[in-house]
Amino acid sequence: MSTESDDGLLRSVVPPAWVDQLFARCQTHGWTLILISAVVGALPPVFGLREGYVMTVLSEMFLFAILALSWDIVGGQTGYPSFGNMAFFGIGAYTTAILVKDAAIAFPIAILGAAIAVLIFAAINGLIVLRLRGHYFAIATLGILLAVQQVTRNLAIAGGASGKILFDVPPGVVFYYFFLVVLVVEIAVIYYLTQTRFGFILNAIRDDEGKATAMGFNTTYYKTAAWMLAALFTGLAGSAYGLFNTFIDPQTAYNGAWNVELIAMALMGGTGTVAGPVIGAFGLHTVIEYVETAFVGWQLVLLGAAVIVTVIGFPKGVVGTIREYANEMDYYERGGMAAADSEEPEVTTDE
Amino acid sequence: MSKSTDSDRSPATTDPVLRTEGITKRFGGLTAVDSVDVEVHDGEIVGLIGPNGAGKSTLFNCITGTLTADEGRVRLQGDDVTDWPEHKIARAGLGRMFQETRIFGGMSVRKNLLLAAQEGGADIGGLLRRPDDSLVGRTNELLSYVDLDGLADTQAGRLSFGQQKLIEFVMELMAEPDLLLMDEPAGGINPSMLENLIEYIRTANDEEEATIFLIEHNMDFVMEIADRIYVLAHGERIGEGTPEEIQNDQRVIDAYLGRE
Amino acid sequence: MAITQFVVNGLLVGALFAAVAVGFALIWGVVDIINLAHGEMVMLGGYTAYWLLSIATGTAEGSVLLFLATIPVVVAVLFVVGYALQRTLVSRVIGTDIFLTLLVTFGISIAIQQLAIQAWTANPRSIQVAFADPSLTAAGLVIPKMKLVAFVGAIILTAILYLFLQRTRTGRAIRAVSQNPEAAALVGIDVAHTRAITFGISSAVAGGAGAFIATILNIEPQMGLIYTLKSFVIVVFGGVGSIPGALTGGLLLGTVEELTAGLVSSRWTLAVSFTLLIVLLVVKPKGLFGTEANE
Repeated sequence: MSTESDDGLLRSVVPPAWVDQLFARCQTHGWTLILISAVVGALPPVFGLREGYVMTVLSEMFLFAILALSWDIVGGQTGYPSFGNMAFFGIGAYTTAILVKDAAIAFPIAILGAAIAVLIFAAINGLIVLRLRGHYFAIATLGILLAVQQVTRNLAIAGGASGKILFDVPPGVVFYYFFLVVLVVEIAVIYYLTQTRFGFILNAIRDDEGKATAMGFNTTYYKTAAWMLAALFTGLAGSAYGLFNTFIDPQTAYNGAWNVELIAMALMGGTGTVAGPVIGAFGLHTVIEYVETAFVGWQLVLLGAAVIVTVIGFPKGVVGTIREYANEMDYYERGGMAAADSEEPEVTTDE
Repeated sequence: MSKSTDSDRSPATTDPVLRTEGITKRFGGLTAVDSVDVEVHDGEIVGLIGPNGAGKSTLFNCITGTLTADEGRVRLQGDDVTDWPEHKIARAGLGRMFQETRIFGGMSVRKNLLLAAQEGGADIGGLLRRPDDSLVGRTNELLSYVDLDGLADTQAGRLSFGQQKLIEFVMELMAEPDLLLMDEPAGGINPSMLENLIEYIRTANDEEEATIFLIEHNMDFVMEIADRIYVLAHGERIGEGTPEEIQNDQRVIDAYLGRE
Repeated sequence: MAITQFVVNGLLVGALFAAVAVGFALIWGVVDIINLAHGEMVMLGGYTAYWLLSIATGTAEGSVLLFLATIPVVVAVLFVVGYALQRTLVSRVIGTDIFLTLLVTFGISIAIQQLAIQAWTANPRSIQVAFADPSLTAAGLVIPKMKLVAFVGAIILTAILYLFLQRTRTGRAIRAVSQNPEAAALVGIDVAHTRAITFGISSAVAGGAGAFIATILNIEPQMGLIYTLKSFVIVVFGGVGSIPGALTGGLLLGTVEELTAGLVSSRWTLAVSFTLLIVLLVVKPKGLFGTEANE
């Protein structure tokens, strides 16, 4: 992974300055972009795509984008990589399934119930895990995911190891729009937050939590807020999924492989960015879907390999690498390391 | 350099900005800080010197709340902050610069400065608002003051060590703490940068009445800039006075200066 | 008395947990990596023994001696696997973000699991050893013979690892690298090679444990994660890099699990283990024998 762009050819074909401008454009027109994407996303059913394989794949793409983006709030923006986000997904899924099937509650209200359940769970487990750092935090979240999975498996109301089958579910197009709307809302919320003080503080916690504390920020408060926000969106996605899939069991609801998948998506797209996890989700999910149909059973092998390759060669992801490419030029223009390291303490500028 | 209005410093307060009374801190069998009293008054620049291992950083950590003293009290503007958590003490008006120069490398320089401003505090409204123009304007002013204008949008982690140190300092200027603790500010920067830093610190002290308490090993630097100096050795306070008094204090010379 | 039986069962299986955890502790202590693929080494060890026996006798059955003869082979094979993984993949993320090291080993774990499924199907298998029945009885306690053999085998593997670290030149090199890689490099130790060796022997011991596990429990491609997590619990308890700590922790964990299974229900053993994990992390002891890992 090189940090210097030693590729002169690339520089002449796509000058960093252009890329920088592209980024600046996206920044200024961010909201327009989001709106356009939402409209584009809303179109396919209007033009006749209301069921079938493609609709399912698209819905799942939105779903994974939600999951990856949610992971990124805590993992990429705040620097606390969790391996157990699927716990929120599963709790959302099971709560909704139980409410709909056993208590005959209407779908929308059941989702609300699931959201509340997930938030309560997030608050409690946040108290525990958010005081841990690094390795310990990651493994603790994984432990919680598996613990919740085990507990659910032993609960009769959840259908035990066989899970629950759901009937009378709304048609697929409802879920398509549900996932799309949740995704767009999430993108909007995160996009907005990254420009506010709250977002800055999360990034500060990621970069140097001790310094953030020394500056007067109660980091526990902010970490918990981010954690609960991530839990909310993940839980919402989970709550719809059970119905969408007409079936959940401990294996699908608390899917450890999905957890790795969504982390990989965030990583490949670029952690700590708004577009990154979404791009990563769309891209990786499409590839995995293709492999799943073409080479049955090999999709997870591919996932493992993809994770390895990304981590070793490509840790900044798509957006991250592009941004660095653009940023480099930015810095270079303004004086650079060489000028700063010389006797002059001041950076010479052209202004 | 324009100054935003001070929040609530009561006019004729007789409390020193900082007072420690009998601070003691032990680690296992070792007494790192032994019953140390110091005071810093409004508008002063006070130095803290002493051989390595004398307890200077430990004393600082007890003041900031990173560590809790085993005995003694720390008073900030008259409030007893001894048992307060670190972030609460910082909010109460205590700023700190670190020996290893800590800033937020993953964010732009401008974001670092915006974060440092205490306005917009912890209330939800402030958190969820985008930085307002006057704040952004202030960041531009301060960056211009230290001749780092062009770097506002650069990722802070890419700056050289000296530049990062300046940014850390500018962040404190944004925060306008009642008391600023500086841990070896002269460390690791070249002489001309050091001169600039002295200049900036003097100006902050003169014009903004910034109150500063600093640890330092660079004797020239300390003697030049401090109004008063405390000397620590083996956890105990062994000297206190103006630079001239310290330089002529036999006990201090034996313990510390004589070795140089 | 029932409780004593549970405790004995726990100790017997706990030694196997310990043998697995010991390698995990070593990698963490020396290479500063939490190897999320460690459990897969156990799984591979089990399958290697299974296939060796199948090749030798045509079925996955054999005499105890034949089984024991596979152990050295398993150990050797897993050593190579571990060494190769470290040298080619893991070494590239050493020193980067902790998250990346976790993720790469998790990726390796998934890849190995899934390849195993493709190669051997997800059906559980086990090794039948002829002399397993009848079990021994002593003082009113039932001691299945293979569990006893596994217990002894696990202890021996652990002891060999410990002696290796203490008495051999390579062992000293490993300890040097764990304490101070730069200093170790300065005195001429090949740090990259040493780290790979550490991975190798950790995987080898885990693989050997896996072979024994195949005789008393079922093996299936996705069994690894549980062992990885149990190893984590054990090492957090016993102290990073500490072999005595891992041994104690393993025996304790085994006992706790068996008591849970006996007194409550075997469905809750995993839940208890994971809860223990969380409790330990919150309480965060410095470990019984070792020092707390720096974060």
